[in-house]
This record gives sequence, structure tokens and C-alpha cells, in this order.
Amino acid sequence: MQDSIRSTISNTPQHTAPGFLYSAFRVFDFSLSQMLWSRRTIFMLLVVGVPVVLATVVRLIDQLSTSAMQVNGVAMDGPAIFGMMIWMFFVRFSVPVLSIFYGTALIADEVDDKTITFLFTRPIPRGAVLVGKYLAFLASTLLVVLPSVMLVWLLVVPIRGTLGGSFIPLVKDLAILAAGFAVYGAFFAFIGAKFKRPLMIALFFVFAWENAALLFPGYMRRFTIAHYLQGLVPHTMPSDSAVTLIQSVFQETPTLGTSLFWLAVIWAVFLWLAARVVERREYVLEQ
Amino acid sequence: MTKSTRYLAFGSAAIVVFGLCTGLVAYYGGIPSLTASRVGPPELALVPADASIVAFADVRDVMDSELRQKLREALPGDQKKREELQRLTGIDIERDIDRVVAAVGADAEHSVVAFLSGRFNPTQIESLARQHGGEVVDYGGKRLIRGMRPKHPDNHSVATARVHGTAHAAKADVHPHSGDDSPALAFIEPNVLAIGAETAVKRAIDTQKSGQNITTNGDVMKIISSVATGNNVWAVGRMDHFVSRLPQEVAMRMPPIQWFAATGRVNGGIHASLRAEAVDDQAAENLRDVVRGGLALVKMQSADPKMASLAQSIRLEGSGKTVSVSFTVPAELIDLLLAKGPRGLVQN
Repeated sequence: MQDSIRSTISNTPQHTAPGFLYSAFRVFDFSLSQMLWSRRTIFMLLVVGVPVVLATVVRLIDQLSTSAMQVNGVAMDGPAIFGMMIWMFFVRFSVPVLSIFYGTALIADEVDDKTITFLFTRPIPRGAVLVGKYLAFLASTLLVVLPSVMLVWLLVVPIRGTLGGSFIPLVKDLAILAAGFAVYGAFFAFIGAKFKRPLMIALFFVFAWENAALLFPGYMRRFTIAHYLQGLVPHTMPSDSAVTLIQSVFQETPTLGTSLFWLAVIWAVFLWLAARVVERREYVLEQ
Repeated sequence: MTKSTRYLAFGSAAIVVFGLCTGLVAYYGGIPSLTASRVGPPELALVPADASIVAFADVRDVMDSELRQKLREALPGDQKKREELQRLTGIDIERDIDRVVAAVGADAEHSVVAFLSGRFNPTQIESLARQHGGEVVDYGGKRLIRGMRPKHPDNHSVATARVHGTAHAAKADVHPHSGDDSPALAFIEPNVLAIGAETAVKRAIDTQKSGQNITTNGDVMKIISSVATGNNVWAVGRMDHFVSRLPQEVAMRMPPIQWFAATGRVNGGIHASLRAEAVDDQAAENLRDVVRGGLALVKMQSADPKMASLAQSIRLEGSGKTVSVSFTVPAELIDLLLAKGPRGLVQN
């Protein structure tokens, strides 16, 4: 009798839990659509749509006018305008702001909606849930932001400039933006997984801490992401306000190797920490 | 992944890939309309890629300007010279020339060439050249008129041998002092006349064939693109080619400038600017200090209100490696100069 039971058990197909990467991919697959067609995407479209509209206006003005476009009395060509737009709209604004809104919400949204239980009852590693959602965030932001940069480049650079001459800076810009989303996203994913009010902390980090640390000479700037990210930007930093003027005066550009190394370290450490927090933390859903 | 997400992903990827491919092709100069050749006049396609200085004048625009009308009224003697030139060449400088592009190669005086674009009578120009001892040879399928100066006895045999030679054979004969420095001209296109040193004109014909023109030189085109719009006269050039030719005493005192760009906009008045790109930020800052000092001196000495307004219009700009000085000569000042001469500027 016992032998027959044993043989029945051994003949029953064994369902092993899926691996970490496969699990992450499955979470990525369903999270991508969820993120792309959410209300946040409207905000994201607004953020990346403004530069495209402005680029169109600049191009139209240039077509209609015979004289060179001037900013504060200085004639500007297309590549210079593009460089200024990359700084103001993308590096300083879109990358940190979109990372905050998506990165902090990766786990926090599931907690708020009380749907995290459904994810955690699946036979997949908990960390894979965060990594899958992080990859979905990265894909959705890049799918919206990179085409916007490309359109701005195609519209603005031909104004007394050449597409060929600005091609290498464009490739660098795209790589920098992707790196920015990856690193800021990993950092804010950790903030979102660890803290109860992640949005406030993230906004404070970007708009208070990073701005203040970059404002003064010294080593404090090394504890910001912007220091390493902005050091990679191939365009001259515009001095459009008192704060940015002081920042440009005290700008201390780290070497390419240093920037890449520390960005990689920040990315790996905070993504690992975020996955670890999700693995270990007991999420108590408020009734 | 839903169908709409897939469409969005493909759409986004398509925009990025399209942009990158366009940029890549433009980077390697594969699409002329997308590269720098669209910037500036079409005659840039005849300028060799290693030219040190490129200059342009929109003759039509300058001739139609208010300033030119005033000059024509103020200097009536100019008319006779124009009529004489027209009688000899059939070219009415007021109407027949649209634009001029000039280039100086690394070889300085041996590589000066100008491309005149407009409406010409080739037969009349050829017969005029023959009257001045010129001979017509075939070079690269173009009629090259050369030897328009007293021939040196030693050059005669070489010149005769070249008359029936091919373009490459003729090129092989070139010797720096054997007559290729003499002026020559060729109709590169029915409406484009190249005039310059024989070597330079031949080089322009070769450049047209090979396509290795200045528009493939990204450094030069970057500067040309910044000056080609809004100015009817401009010149850009590399300084290092010329500094090496200067006496050491002079070269040592020259500011370390890599590039310069001079522009002018002629209408009722004249707006001109001179921009220089130094080798580094420090050199540019030093140059700015020197120019700033000079400008202060000029402004201090401009006691006369008319000259003071001219002095006040001088502006020093630029950041990083760039130093730029611009000034405006207003139409009123030109009127005064034309009416009273230089005395008009002196306060009574």
C-alpha cells in the first residue's frame, strides 16, 4: 500500500518555482502595459511634449526670420539651443522628476491599492517583483523620452548647424538620459520600498539636497547623483538663474571613468537594496 | 504585453532608429542635403577639403543694398570703370555676378581661387584671354584658360606638351615654379567661373570630380554654418596654417587662435563681427582681456558724439574658447561720411 502511494507521488509531475530572471520578465511583461496606459503617462507626455512644441516654435521662427536667433543678445545656433534644451528640460527636470514619480511608486502603488498581496502569493521571488517593475519603469520612460529628444534634435539642430556634426553629442545625450533614468530609478525604487512617505523624501533629495550640495564647493556634491550624471553631459551648462550661475562657477567635473564607476555603484547598490527590502519587509496593509 | 503597448513600443523605437540612422548617415556625409553642404553657397562643393580660408560675398545682395545705391551716387567715376570692364569681358559687375566664393589652400598664394557665380559670355572671355597671350587647354573635361602673362622661355615647351595631355598627365607636370602659379580661369559650370592660380583652378576641377570638398570637413563647416545665415559677406579660416609661415618674432606675439570668422551685413549701414576661437579657455580669457583693454581705450578717446555712438556699438562677447567683437556703422554715419568726408566726423 505504502509502495503504491510512493509510486503515485513520484509519478506526479513536480512544479518547480520559476527562476528570478524569468519571474522578473513576467512581472515586466504585465507591468509595462499597466504603466504606459496609466494617468502618470499623461503627466509624462506633458513633460516631454513641451520641449517638442518649443523646438517646433523655434524652428518656425527661424524659418520666418532672416537674422540669427539671439538669446540675451548672443546669436545661437541649433546645436547650442539643443544643448541648452537637453540641460533644462531633460537632465535637470525630466530625468529626476519622472524617476521620482515612477520609481517611488513601484511598490508603494501596490501597497496603496492593496494589490501587493496578489503579487506576493505567487510562487516567485519577491525581489523579482521589484526588478520586473523597475525594468517596466525603465522601458516606459525611455519609450516616451528618447523619441522626444530625437524629435527636438531633428527640429532644432539644422538651424545653422549640421546633423552630422551633432550626431556624437546626441548619442552621448541618449546614453546619459538612459543612465540617468536607470540610476535615479534604482535609488527611488529603494526609497519607495523602504519608506512610508517616499514622494516627499524623493522630492527633498532632488530639489533641496542635490541643488544645495552642488551649490557649494567641497566634497558634499559627491553624495549626489547629479554630480556624476551632469559631469557626463557634452554641452555647456547654461547659467539661466542665480543658482545655476553659482553651480556653473563651482562646477567640478569628475572624470568620465569616475562618473561611470560611481553611477554603476549607485545603481547596483540601490537596486540590490530595494530588492532586499522587498524580500524582507512585512507589508501591513491598512484597512 | 497588449497590442496597443506593442504598437507604442514599435512607434517609439521607429522614431529613435530613424533619427539615429539619419544622424549616422549625415555623420558620414552620405546625405548631402542633411550635412553641412546645405549650409552656405553651392560653390562650396568646389572648394578643396583642406582649404585654410573660405570667404563668401553675396554680390547681388550687396549691389542691391542701400549702401551701394548711396556709393553709386557719391562716386560717379566708378561707372566708367564698370563700363570698361563690361566692354572687355562682357560682365556687368552690377548685374551679372550673383555671388563670389574664394578659398585659400594650405599652399597660400599658390592655392588662391575664386568662384564667380552669375551670367557670363564664355566666348568673349576666352577671346579676351587669348588677346592677352592666354591659351585654352583641356583639363578634366573643362576648358582651362591659362598663361595670361608673358611666358618664360623655359616654360614654353612644358606648356605646349600639356596642351594635348590628359588631366592626370598635366597634373604630373606641375612644378611649383614652372608656371602653374600663373593666373588661370575655367568655366566649371556654364554659370560658375573659377579664377585663380593655375594649380588652384585645376584642383577645383579635381575636387568637383572627386567630391572631396570642404563640405566633408566637419570643423570648417561647423564654423561656416554659424556665419552663413543673416550675413551677406563672411570669411572663416584656420590660423595655425598661417602662423607657421610668419617670422618667429611675429608668430610668438600672435595670440594662440585656432579659428577665426569674420562676418558682415551690408544694408543701409554695416554690421560686422570678428569671432576667434582660441586653443583653450585660458588663452581666450587672455585675449578677451587684451580686447577689453583696447576697447576701453577706443571708447575713452571717442569724445565726438558721432564717433562715440560707433564706439559704443562695439561689443565684446563670447565664453569658453570663443572671443567675439562686433560693431555697427549706422546709416547716418555713412551718410555723413559721404556728404562731408572724414571732416564730417570732426566736431566743429
